[in-house]
Formats: sequence, C-alpha cells, structure tokens
Amino acid sequence: MPVFKAPFNGYSVKFSPFYESRLAVATAQNFGILGNGRIHVLELAPGAPGVTESVAYDTADAVYDVCWSESHDSVLIAAIGDGSVKIYDTALPPPSNPIRSFQEHAREVQSLDYNPTRRDSFLTSSWDDTVKLWAMDRPASVRTFKEHVYCVYQAVWNPKHGDVFASASGDCTVRIWDVREPGSTMIIPGHEYEILSCDWNKYDDCILATSSVDKTVKVWDVRSYRVPLAVLNGHGYAVRKVKFSPHRRSLIASCSYDMTVCLWDYMVEDALVGRYDHHTEFAVGIDMSVLVEGLMASTGWDELVYVWQQGMDPRAS
Amino acid sequence: MEKAVERQKILLRHLNPISSNSSSLLSPVNCASEVSPMAAFGDDIVIVAAYRTAICKARRGGFKDTLPDDLLASVLKAVVERTSLDPSEVGDIVVGTVIAPGSQRAMECRVAAYFAGFPDTVPVRTVNRQCSSGLQAVADVAASIRAGYYDIGIGAGVESMSTDHIPGGGFHASNPRAQDFPKARDCLLPMGITSENVAERFGVTREEQDMAAVESHKRAAAAIASGKLKDEIIPVATKIVDPETKAEKAIVVSVDDGVRPNSNMADLAKLKTVFKQNGSTTAGNASQISDGAGAVLLMKRILAMKKGLPILGVFRSFAVTGVDPSVMGIGPAVAIPAATKIAGLNVSDIDLFEINEAFASQYVYCCKKLELDMEKVNVNGGAIAIGHPLGATGARCVATLLHEMKRRGKDCRFGVISMCIGTGMGAAAVFERGDSVDNLSNARVANGDGH
Repeated sequence: MPVFKAPFNGYSVKFSPFYESRLAVATAQNFGILGNGRIHVLELAPGAPGVTESVAYDTADAVYDVCWSESHDSVLIAAIGDGSVKIYDTALPPPSNPIRSFQEHAREVQSLDYNPTRRDSFLTSSWDDTVKLWAMDRPASVRTFKEHVYCVYQAVWNPKHGDVFASASGDCTVRIWDVREPGSTMIIPGHEYEILSCDWNKYDDCILATSSVDKTVKVWDVRSYRVPLAVLNGHGYAVRKVKFSPHRRSLIASCSYDMTVCLWDYMVEDALVGRYDHHTEFAVGIDMSVLVEGLMASTGWDELVYVWQQGMDPRAS
Repeated sequence: MEKAVERQKILLRHLNPISSNSSSLLSPVNCASEVSPMAAFGDDIVIVAAYRTAICKARRGGFKDTLPDDLLASVLKAVVERTSLDPSEVGDIVVGTVIAPGSQRAMECRVAAYFAGFPDTVPVRTVNRQCSSGLQAVADVAASIRAGYYDIGIGAGVESMSTDHIPGGGFHASNPRAQDFPKARDCLLPMGITSENVAERFGVTREEQDMAAVESHKRAAAAIASGKLKDEIIPVATKIVDPETKAEKAIVVSVDDGVRPNSNMADLAKLKTVFKQNGSTTAGNASQISDGAGAVLLMKRILAMKKGLPILGVFRSFAVTGVDPSVMGIGPAVAIPAATKIAGLNVSDIDLFEINEAFASQYVYCCKKLELDMEKVNVNGGAIAIGHPLGATGARCVATLLHEMKRRGKDCRFGVISMCIGTGMGAAAVFERGDSVDNLSNARVANGDGH
C-alpha cells in the first residue's frame, strides 16, 4: 500500500474530488506547536513506493487542514496556524503560489470545507471561536458566524442542502447553521467533553456524526437530537476526526489519539467493523475517496501518510 | 512562545480534559513544566556517575593505613570504568582536599590519576574551601564545562585524616594582626567553639543535639542493613597494619565503619562536653574524623545522550555565602535559600536534602530555621554517624543524594547538598533527578521503512 513520509507531522489528508490518484496533505513542524508548515500534493502511482509528491508548498506556520476546490481541479485551500487562509493553484508554477491569502481569523484556523453542492464557497473554522464563510472571488469573508464560546474544531457542509452546515466546538456543542438565517438553527449539546469533529451522512441529510474527547463517536438525527442514534465506543483516547463514507450509508471512519483508525457501521449491534493500527503516533487526519470506493487515507504525527483499500492492511507492500 | 504554550494547552486538554459539568472524576494536573521553570536542554550539565569509598574512622578504621592517593585513585577509576569512558576524554579532574599541604597534595592527586589509569594529557588540580571543597570541586567542573573549557570533567574529593591531622584541633595563629580584628580572631576559633556558640546563641539544647545524633546513627545503620548503599560505594582493596604486631593484612573496605547502630540517648548523655564546660557539644553529637574519597563525572546532557550514558542527576545551581565566623555552623541556613533561588525554586520545592552534620548544634539549627521536613533530610544518616572526611564530604554527598533520589522515583525531583564552612561560610548546590527531565527516553532510531 502506498506510504508517504513527510518531513513534518501530518495533520490532515484530503482526496481530490477530480482525480482519483491525487491527494493533498497538511503538515506542521514540531507537532504543530511551533515552527513551519508544508502542504504536499501527492500522486498515487502503480509500483513502489506507490505515492510520489508532485508539488509542495511551504508555509510560515503550521498547516492544520487542507481542502480541494470543487470548482477548479487544480486549486486547493490551506488552513494555517497563524490565522490565515491561503489558496494555491497547482497549475501555476510554485513561485506564484499562494495565489491568495486571507488574514481574518484572530487565531489558528483549524479546518476547511468546500461547499460540494454550490461549489462557489467554503467554510473555515478557527480557534477564535468563529466560523467564516468565504467565496473564492471575494477579497474578504462573506460572513462570520460567532456563537461558539471556545475553539471551533470543524465546520462541515451538509451534502444535500447547500446552505446548511454543522460546526463542532470545544465548548461541547455542535451547532447547525443555515447561511440564510441570522444565527444557528440548532444547538446539540452532544458530549460532556470537547467535540473535535463532525460529519454529515452522505445518504441521509439529517444524520450527523460527532467525535469527542470523551473517546466516543456519536451518531445523531437532527430531528430528534436529545438522544443519539448510536454511541460508538472503542477508541482509547480522544477521537480527533470522524468521516462518513461516501459509498456506504452507515459506514463511518474515525481516527484518534490512540493512534488507530477505526471503521464503524452504526446500524449494526457490534459497530466496530475495522481497526487499523498502522500509525505510531496520534492519528489526526483521515479521508475516504469519493471517486474510488473503499479507498482511504490517513495521516498522523508520525509523519506518515497511508493510502489503502478498506479491508487491506495499510502497511502491506 | 506564548502561542506555542497555548497550542500545547489546547492539545493537552484533549488528553486530560475538564468536563463541561465540573463534577468530573477527571481533573487536570499541571504538568511539571508549568509548575517549575525547569526544562531539559542539551547543554544542561549532568552527572552520569557519582561514587564514593566507604567512610572510615581516622586512625582506627578501615582506611587508617591507606594513603590518600590510593583512596582517590579508587574512585577516579570507578567513575571511568563504570561508564566505559575513555579516560583520555576527561578534560580536567578537580579534587577537593583540605588539611594536607597544598602543593604536596596536588602532586599526590596527579599521582592518583596515574594510578587510576589516566594518561598524561588529563590535567589535575585541587581546590580548598575547607569543608565544602568536595562540593566546590563539582561546582567548579560544572562551571568550567559551561564556560567551554572542556566537555567532560570529574569533580572529586579526598581526605585522609589518618595521614593529616588538624594541628591542635584548630588553626594556628600565624599573624599577630589577626588579634586586632574581631572577625579575623574568630576565624581562629576551634570549630567546636563555634558549635557551642551556635547552640548558645540559637538555643539548641544538649538533648536536641543528642537526639539528632541518635537519629543519624539509626538512619545510617538502616541504610547499611538494607544494602542500598552498595549502589554508591566502591569497595577498595587495601591493607591494614595491626598497631601492635605490625602485621599487614589485605582487606577490602566497603562499609562505613563509624556507624554505631546501638547509639542511644542514655549513652550519649554520659559523654563529657569537649570544648566548653557545661556546653553541649560532645564527641557523640559532632561529626567524626574520617578517611574517604568521592568522585563525580559531569558532562553536558547532549554528550551524555550521544554516549548513551544514563543521567543520574542534573546540576542546577550552586551558591556560597559568607557568615559570621564565630557561628560558622549557620552557613547552610543562608546558602540553601540562595542556591534554590538561583535555581528558580523555593526551599519548599526541594524533595531531599543532604546537610552536613558538622555538629548537631548547627545541623539542628539550620533545619529548624529553614523549617525542613526531617523526613527529607539526611535520610541515610549524616556525618555524625558516617563521618566527615573534610575534602571528600561534598563529593560523597553527591553520590549519596543522587542515588537516593534515583531510588525514590519521579516524586523526588530536586535535591540539595549543603554544608557549613570553617571561617564562616555556607555552600549549597541544587540537583535535579536524572530521568525526570530526560524526556527523550522514548526516542528510538527509526529504521528505513519508517516504523
């Protein structure tokens, strides 16, 4: 299985929505605590080592997340620890990059999500307690959503409703927002501890998964959000990211500080369907390819990026 | 830097969280780096080995016929052999030694280095700050490494009070002018008189002193019985001459022979006061006259890691302060706060103390003045039971302190060694336990495939 060794600690990995063999990786020096960052664009190729770097961009501060544009196949956006949001175009030569840099967030930008339905805008969430909405062609953010009282670790668009998104925060709540509304439309006090990640079900627009410092992943139906549909136990430490599969409606992938990547089927009694322990440090980034069914990628503080097919051993060569 | 600290805090909260309803079973614990300003840096001066000989009664004990250079050679050899260090890598050997004539003893130390297998290229010197000489030697080596004079040094101490006697039990008055200066006159006071001065001025009773003596013997005896001192004592093969028959016998000395396990208040009460009539200082509650040696191997942390040497301790600070010579025994009460302050700590942050029991009077006074928890002071006995080979004491305390801190585990993080100094001074040094700062212990060599 392809393995890429980055010079810095991995933070996030995202498959390109246009090319099945392309992915972007966000990395940060010194575990993202102090130092520079680097964005890698990788290409999967047949034969060993299975993955090569096609271009890399250096940044002055840690890169905590990266996402691909849904409108331009060569454009990717990076969330930087110094509060800036930078846009890169891989079709342009490296000296021309980044093509744009937005400096608005007061603190570290933790996550990015590109609107998959409208394709013209993206969200950023930051440790400054806000979520911001941006359009590619606007010089400043379109809107700032400020309700959370602690770091917003993730903001994710609903895959069906282009104006709806969810945000997960360290204030232990998930908020559902509609950009047409002035404030949040729903507050889910999902966990007793910080909520580090959330993701929408790609087949059922009312189902949402959250992952928390309390080591669980919970699945919610926003129509009856008092009680979760499922509570998935199994991780040994805080669960850093959660992602719903683009191919199977009840399949969830999660990665945790316990260094494992787990696969869950929340509709089944014994929900844990897979556990991968290939990382030797905190596993902090996962993604599941939209274009290739079953293809997954993960990255962690051990500076490695693994790409593998579900059911296979990520370390198999 | 602020940002880095904030980021660390946020990450740490993921692992050690506070619940949103604060009635949580989990509670955050300050990690050590938040509480204390200590951090581990590659250029910290660390101790990788500290050993001592047994301490024996002068003129009657195991080392009475052992020459000082043989005594010193045994510990110099040990620190190098046990760390598999190439002796030629040592940049300097500094030896604390007090009574012997300066140049003669310095020559003997050079000879000792040769006996221990050091080549021509390794220099040797001595240092004399009376009773603190052994500790001063260690401090000098630490300072020299920090100043970049050399990378590896040995701070040692040796005293053979069987060979060299303190003339008439005190200093001799060499300059009549000293009589015109009260403080200069006080420098000539026999140490025992300064002990009586401390007892009288600060109200330390005969009983308190005898109790301290009993405790010292009790703890030392327990330490010997438990076998734990084997970690720090180097057995020395030497000879002993029967005073009557003059027959020589080969022996191996590895136990402190001054310790009296059956020491008790009743027996001590019978002893006559030696220095002042109706005083309180007796032979039973004063340090013993002894023979012994100790050596400490120091280098920078990064060099120790490169050599794969375990880090026994970290040298954090050193302070010497001057005090009134007539009550020289109060030295530690002033030097200990000075040394802890330099280290950025409070006396209450110190987990273990080795305070030289020159006299029970000054030892009791210092502990009371600093409000020390006696469970943390001289836990394996002190100079009253073990003995006080003047120049060696400081170095042997390093061995005793660091090995005990190692045994006690992570909770025993900081230790202090201190002693009073004849003519009115006090010295103290702060050490940190070795592996509580060695946070690279989980570093591993990465093999090619990244696992």
